[in-house]
Amino acid sequence: MMKNKKSLGIYLHIPFCIQKCAYCDFCSFPNTSAELREKYVDALCRDIEERARLCRDRICDTVYFGGGTPTLLTVLQFERIFSALRENFDISPDAEITVECNPKTADLGYFCDLRRLGVNRLSIGMQSAHDRELEALGRVHRSEDFFRAFADARRAGFDNISVDLMFGIPYQTEKSFKKTLEIVTELEPEHISAYGLIIEEGTPFFANREKLVLPGEDREYTMYTEAVGFLAHRGYKRYEISNFSKPERESRHNLKYWQRDEYVGLGVSAHSFLCEKRSFAPADINAYMRGQFEKGCEEISENDAMSEYVMLAMRTVRGVDLNVFYDRFGKDFDEMFADKLKPYRDGEFVVRKDGSCAFTDSGFYVSNEILSEILDFDQTY
Amino acid sequence: MNGNEKQKNIRNFSIIAHIDHGKSTLADRLLEATETVAKRDMEEQVLDNMDLERERGITIKARAVRLQYKAPNGEDYILNLIDTPGHVDFNYEVSRSLNACEGALLVVDATQGIEAQTLANAYLAVDAGLEVLPVVNKIDLPSADPDRVRNEIEDVIGIPAEGCPAISAKTGLNIEKVLETVVRDVPPPTGDANAPLKALIFDSYYDSYLGVVVYVRLMDGTVRSGDRIRLMSNGKEFDVVDVGHMEPFGLQKCDELCAGEVGYITASIKSVGDTRVGDTVTLASEPAKESLPGFKEAKPMVYAGIYPADGARYGDLRDALEKLLLNDAALVFEPETSIALGFGFRCGFLGLLHMEIIEERLEREFNLDLITTAPSVIYEVEKRNGEIVRIDNPSNFPSPDEIEAANEPIVKASIITPTEFIGGLMDLCQDRRGISVDMKYLDDTRVELHYELPLNEIIYDFFDVLKSRSRGYASLDYEMLEYRKSKLVKLDFLLNGDQVDALSFIVHEEKAYGRARRIAEKLKDNIPRQLFEIPIQAAIGGKVIARETVKAMRKDVLAKCYGGDITRKKKLLEKQKEGKKKMRQLGSVQVSPEAFMAVLRLDDDK
Repeated sequence: MMKNKKSLGIYLHIPFCIQKCAYCDFCSFPNTSAELREKYVDALCRDIEERARLCRDRICDTVYFGGGTPTLLTVLQFERIFSALRENFDISPDAEITVECNPKTADLGYFCDLRRLGVNRLSIGMQSAHDRELEALGRVHRSEDFFRAFADARRAGFDNISVDLMFGIPYQTEKSFKKTLEIVTELEPEHISAYGLIIEEGTPFFANREKLVLPGEDREYTMYTEAVGFLAHRGYKRYEISNFSKPERESRHNLKYWQRDEYVGLGVSAHSFLCEKRSFAPADINAYMRGQFEKGCEEISENDAMSEYVMLAMRTVRGVDLNVFYDRFGKDFDEMFADKLKPYRDGEFVVRKDGSCAFTDSGFYVSNEILSEILDFDQTY
Repeated sequence: MNGNEKQKNIRNFSIIAHIDHGKSTLADRLLEATETVAKRDMEEQVLDNMDLERERGITIKARAVRLQYKAPNGEDYILNLIDTPGHVDFNYEVSRSLNACEGALLVVDATQGIEAQTLANAYLAVDAGLEVLPVVNKIDLPSADPDRVRNEIEDVIGIPAEGCPAISAKTGLNIEKVLETVVRDVPPPTGDANAPLKALIFDSYYDSYLGVVVYVRLMDGTVRSGDRIRLMSNGKEFDVVDVGHMEPFGLQKCDELCAGEVGYITASIKSVGDTRVGDTVTLASEPAKESLPGFKEAKPMVYAGIYPADGARYGDLRDALEKLLLNDAALVFEPETSIALGFGFRCGFLGLLHMEIIEERLEREFNLDLITTAPSVIYEVEKRNGEIVRIDNPSNFPSPDEIEAANEPIVKASIITPTEFIGGLMDLCQDRRGISVDMKYLDDTRVELHYELPLNEIIYDFFDVLKSRSRGYASLDYEMLEYRKSKLVKLDFLLNGDQVDALSFIVHEEKAYGRARRIAEKLKDNIPRQLFEIPIQAAIGGKVIARETVKAMRKDVLAKCYGGDITRKKKLLEKQKEGKKKMRQLGSVQVSPEAFMAVLRLDDDK
């Protein structure tokens, strides 16, 4: 089939959880009724219909269900959503279709149903192999739930599984994190994400921050560095700050973010990027269900588009591809950024080679510091 | 009635007391009792009319008010109440206000008894030749012991206190007794209304319509609108626009002021700097032969560098200081530059409280974010080449090889404390290079300690430690004694090898190492991590005596993706960028103004 249509990613937000984890500041609601969830799915299907009208000329090559806990939806609800998606969007037959999953909420039967609906990738939130650490995070699952879920997913036929891990969390040590990595890599998922804990305002962790027993900045650094080395050794190449995968198993959906490709976000608080316009849905679930699918938007200026591109591309190990930059913006990357980047290249935080510009290992850790210096956005907030 | 006759029924008096013994509350009650101010119109403590003063519960500027009192015997009296600043930094102003009076009510808290400033003020009043009339206050409190306090007053101060009024200013109990005491025991003023004009300036303030309003007590002579007056300290002359009295609700014009009276003069005077407290006002046409005694130029004792946190607001800071100058004859300042902090001002203050007040007014009234250096005293340095220099800025301190001898100001301090804290306080004084002079028991629970202490040890958080070691009960009073030779050194700080001039200060040799270590630690704790490790060094004359290191930044990365919410990332980077704009570049190191201040305000020696 001739693919001269531009590609597009689809993100769907399912904001329901069994309980909120202590560090979570995503848009998610615990203690929802089945009724509410059903009404939400209704709204989501309407959103799909409406939004698709703007995307007739697109072929969707990734679909991603995030949340919250998407696996709190019933199979029937997933069916309805997939129906709506396939009816309204042009979804490529070899699209990557991911569902985020909490180990406590899915079993073999559920996984098989998801496979039947066309889901071909799972992202399971493990966070840690140690129950003590899981408890401190406020996770509802324990390690045995994860092992069972992972086994079930394999049995259901999933051959593209990603596992989420966290480091820098309460009670964790370099050793315990290493152990988690060992255990996970033994299972051989295709993809591993490792996120450093950030204490976000409004979360229970933030309220308790004086009392939290955390490894601290320096030890986190060690954990991360060791993880990169260990994972590489086990065949997981880091391709983005927090993401590691076996060859050809990168997250195609997330790559769209980092390559500044387009995507529609459906559902409460979801973000979209289409035709140089960024928009977002309300975080208020009632407003969303009443039909307010777009709360705000901004047009991205040319300057900001370039800065965004640099900000995003430099999250990847490859960095900014200078040719791609020129193709997209018609500007010479070196002309625009070489001066500002010089001190960081001298300091060995940034490296320019092979037609690309990227952070080094040490540069990644302090990327915010460097990016805030070299990038200037027109848009102020 | 001619001027001299009017005097019979005038009483000029002041209220003096230690902080919080109830001076202002008593003033309120007197205002009410003389029906000068109806109760419901009272905004508590009318006399304290600056917000700051109200907040801190202290009177900063002297104010005066004219009360009209109908005594039980039917006679009308004019009671001029002259309020005095209650803090040791403003002793000079207190003494000038007292010189405008014939009597002083000495208010003593019936539960606390005599404290450091009770004594200090009482002595000032006695020295000024005033009738000192004790009043025991707060007898409404359960632990009040008026008889004990009366005895204390007699024993310690040596003035009769038996039968003196025991009152509660808070409840209004026995206020009439105070008024009766004033009428009976404060002598009426004397002075010849026909002699050449001699009026004592005891306060002034700048009003945007009237110019400077000068508060005066006429000792001799008469002054009217249209007269040409001369200020005897500087010879400047002005034409009087109005004279009048300070009524509770405002200025009230009148035809003339005569000897014995208290009132104000306006003469289109542009600057309070011209109308100095303690100066003598006379007539140009018939000047007095001699000015009134006791006039002193207010001399700053403490200096600090004040810089705008945002360099672009230098002009605003300058304008603000100039506005403050309108109403503060003691403040001095001149421009100065610092490599670290840019353009700012070196300001001189009467003391730490004066400095704090000015800083707060700059921040609050003029909305300025400031960076101030640590306060410094004035050092006198004899250089090898024979030159004698006065140093008010540590950066100007000569290098060791140029110095023949260095001298620092020493003060005479008196501390009154409950006996159980004697040990801790004596340790404190000794630790601050104090020399014990004597120790006197005021009664069996309290003692008065006299020490000679270097002023630079006192401005460095001495008061806070004193309070914390005595659970707030000890009080401190001090006055300048003399300059003494001392082994002083200049402590410098280097960040990443660059010396930061704004961090330098002068310290006694003995204290240098400890101070160096503490500041280096504070710097380490307050300087945010940056891309590279930052060595911090403390040095004397180039020799490093302490060091710390700020480790390199290890984590400043946005780990998660937030499902396509790119805007969130942008906001974060933007916020960081904004935050950095506020940072000061100290050499190659970025420091926030707050961090800078945190380092300079060392307060961990409790």
